[in-house]
Amino acid sequence: MNPDELLAEADHLLTAQIKGTRGLWPRACAWLIRLALEQTLDEFWACELPEAVNSSMRAQLLLLPHYAGDEVAANARDAWFGLARAAHHHSYDLAPTAAELRRWYHLVKGLSALADR
Amino acid sequence: MCTRYVVTSSLVDHNAAVTTTVGEIIADRLAESGLAQPASDFVLAALLGDADLNAMIAGGAAPAEATRAPSQSADSTQSPHLYLKSIVVQGFRGIGPQAALRLQAGPGLTVIAGRNGSGKSSFAEAAELALTGENMRWAKRSIIWREGWRNLHSSTGSASILVELTANGQPGVMKVTREWSAGAGLDDTMSYAQAHGKPRQQLAAMNWAHDLEFFRPFLSYSELGDLVSGRPSDMYDAIQAILGLDQMVDAEKRLNDVRKRLEEPSKLAAKALPGLRKRLAACPDERAREAAKKLASKPWDLSAIEALAVGGESGPESAEGRLASIAAIDLPAPEATAAALTALHAAMDRAAEFAGTPAADARRLLGLLDAALDHQAHHAGEPCPVCGSRRLDDAWVEQTRAEVSRLRELTREAMRADDDLREASKAVRGLVGAMPHVLNQDLGELDPVASARAAWQSWTELTKDGIALAVLSQEAAARLRALRTAIADLKSSADAEVRRRSEAWQPVAAALAAWAEQARLSESAAGGLTGVKLAIAWIRDAGQVIRDARMEQFTTKSAEIWSILRQESNVDLGPIRLAGTATQRRLTLDVNVDGVGSAALSVMSQGELHALGLTLFLPRATAEESPFRFVVIDDPVQAMDPSKVDGLARLLAKTGESRQVIVFTHDDRLPEAIRRLQLSATIWEVTRREQSVVELRKNEDPVSRYIEDAFAVAQTSELSEAARGVVAAGFCRSALEAACHQVIRTRGIKDGVPYADIERDLLRAQKLRQMIELALLNVPDGDVVKELGKRYGPSAVSAYNAAKDGTHAGYRGDLRQMVRDTERLADRLRA
Repeated sequence: MNPDELLAEADHLLTAQIKGTRGLWPRACAWLIRLALEQTLDEFWACELPEAVNSSMRAQLLLLPHYAGDEVAANARDAWFGLARAAHHHSYDLAPTAAELRRWYHLVKGLSALADR
Repeated sequence: MCTRYVVTSSLVDHNAAVTTTVGEIIADRLAESGLAQPASDFVLAALLGDADLNAMIAGGAAPAEATRAPSQSADSTQSPHLYLKSIVVQGFRGIGPQAALRLQAGPGLTVIAGRNGSGKSSFAEAAELALTGENMRWAKRSIIWREGWRNLHSSTGSASILVELTANGQPGVMKVTREWSAGAGLDDTMSYAQAHGKPRQQLAAMNWAHDLEFFRPFLSYSELGDLVSGRPSDMYDAIQAILGLDQMVDAEKRLNDVRKRLEEPSKLAAKALPGLRKRLAACPDERAREAAKKLASKPWDLSAIEALAVGGESGPESAEGRLASIAAIDLPAPEATAAALTALHAAMDRAAEFAGTPAADARRLLGLLDAALDHQAHHAGEPCPVCGSRRLDDAWVEQTRAEVSRLRELTREAMRADDDLREASKAVRGLVGAMPHVLNQDLGELDPVASARAAWQSWTELTKDGIALAVLSQEAAARLRALRTAIADLKSSADAEVRRRSEAWQPVAAALAAWAEQARLSESAAGGLTGVKLAIAWIRDAGQVIRDARMEQFTTKSAEIWSILRQESNVDLGPIRLAGTATQRRLTLDVNVDGVGSAALSVMSQGELHALGLTLFLPRATAEESPFRFVVIDDPVQAMDPSKVDGLARLLAKTGESRQVIVFTHDDRLPEAIRRLQLSATIWEVTRREQSVVELRKNEDPVSRYIEDAFAVAQTSELSEAARGVVAAGFCRSALEAACHQVIRTRGIKDGVPYADIERDLLRAQKLRQMIELALLNVPDGDVVKELGKRYGPSAVSAYNAAKDGTHAGYRGDLRQMVRDTERLADRLRA
């Protein structure tokens, strides 16, 4: 699955009331957007800096300002930390809200446009 | 928890039910207090509301005795116990399409967890709005709330709330509904109630209003928030509201407002007085002097002041009187004086014609003979005193008398001229009277008065006896002219002065009139003001007694609740008191911190203050006498630290043994504590999709929930296979993380590790590997995979790997098998 497909699935979960996803859709959505972000960055590095593809997300986010500019890097960081927290289990956190998910969705969508360039 | 709640206060002792509202208590006390009229009527009117109070102030009738009517639902033993069965909401607040919260209609704890904005509080608010209807608390809400209550995602534009309740001993459910059509305002509709098999009626007919006020089964976060906003007066108000004293507070506030309004004219009059005095002092008008004198001391003679202000008459002794006298000075017309002088001159000329004529000699001789006849009457027969030769005998007398009569005839004409002259001179002298009194008075700065006075005096000199006619006739015309000129001058300057004074006086008079009007208002308000002040003093004293008594009722209970909630807190709770009034009102709370006394709430954390709010709320809401066997609490967890949440969970679960406790919360801390402490509760999770679609589902143990979610995703045909792999692996991973959290936290708490340290460790373990390592406790060389295989076999390893990698690459194997492996591993980790 490429990032666009992942984001389309996430959008579907976010807008439609899919049977069997009551209550689980926010986290499911977060996993999909999160993976879309990972893949977007992988595609970007494949063109720009192949050796970065397999490095940790932390390292990738540190490299990004240099290769993609500060704004893009800031958006990626913003989306990543939100999604990482939402996707993983944290003791007292409830699932993310639709508004949060929509925001991350747009951030990652913007980044995938960058990778296509 | 909910042992029978007995009210022992003397306040509510006199054969009244405990369910007496503050208003009724006050009305009863009032009847016994002997507070005089109209103060007692003011108290009653203030309890009834603004309209009644204003009507009374305006001189209307005293309020009806309605407040004294006994409570309609005073006999609580017959009130059925009410439980909530469901709350169904549509188009209201955060909820768009219809969403339902189904509840177990009986004792027990239900927690509804949802992120802020998920719509959970909308359920709480909807239930409260439907049941309390037109409530002061809604009226006090902010404009933003009142205008933004509609959900914009309601497709039809309508909104509705349905609350279903069950009453023990009665079949079926009771439905309370409130519905709005598109465009209707929040207050445009009312609530209806419909018991099973009975026709629908207005909610008011249920007579719940006053039980709802007294036992208030709803506690919103904003009320807990008021408690901690920090201002002592706000804390006072919040506690007071929680104690059910709103009606009393409102009444006192109304009375204070009225007092301010009644004092206003008097304040304005007092404020305007110095300025008015200054203007009066600066005004030359005598009336200003007069007014100043009347303003000097109380009580003011307002009628006299008003008379002055509207230009009342001034006395003759005043400057105005003198100026008027000057205007009235009257001099003869010039023609008249000219005629008199001409007549005088003519008479003098004619008299002069007789001088040196025989007639004049005859007159002289006549005078001599008259005198001689007179002499003879006293000295008859004696010799003539003039010649000395002839005797003045009878013959002489006869002869002389004949001569006199001859001479008289001769002088008659001359005598007429003489008479005429006398008349003419008298006429001239009488042309101008004595100098008017006014010219001798102080006429201040009226300059021409001196010359007028001199001119008049000079005329008076001229007309004195002894002044020769020649002089008179010669001077009269000139002096009259001078007098006329001087008086004309005087009159014109007096006239100018009158005008000047009137111009200066008019605006001052207007100010005086305006002031007098204020003073009148203040005078007419004074009677009411005295009564209102008495009413305020009374309600303040009575209020303090009622407050103290109510506080005492709760202090014991509160202390008990605090002992459950305090957990690790080093704060001991002492007596809670509401002290002071008006701007001085404050909450005083004695607390001991580590055994050291401290009078300040400032030593308490927000969480402790929220806990304090609960300790004040619960005793009343769960009173045995209340027909409402449910309490709805919105987000009490907010500011509490984990240890306090444990206490809260225990408190709520214990309360849930005898009451239906419904708690809304914005995160998973309370559910986590409930699960960990193995307390009995039903937990719902609320999520809100886009377009305000609100959904609820049971929130079980997070591990089982994640496993269920993973299974559900694995079966969802609407997602692509690849997406299913990603998401299912994600949920499996979360399930393992949650299992590790439980293992680590439960073990830590058992071992007495401080809560904060446990949380810190959990936060540090970011990766699944670290988390598992922490949970397994003893992993040689940190080789988690090897240890997992050793302890739990190969399926554990494949579950671990699937969770670790599947979220990145997407799991491509058998999803169901992966989920089953994960479930098994999670169970073993927690075993």
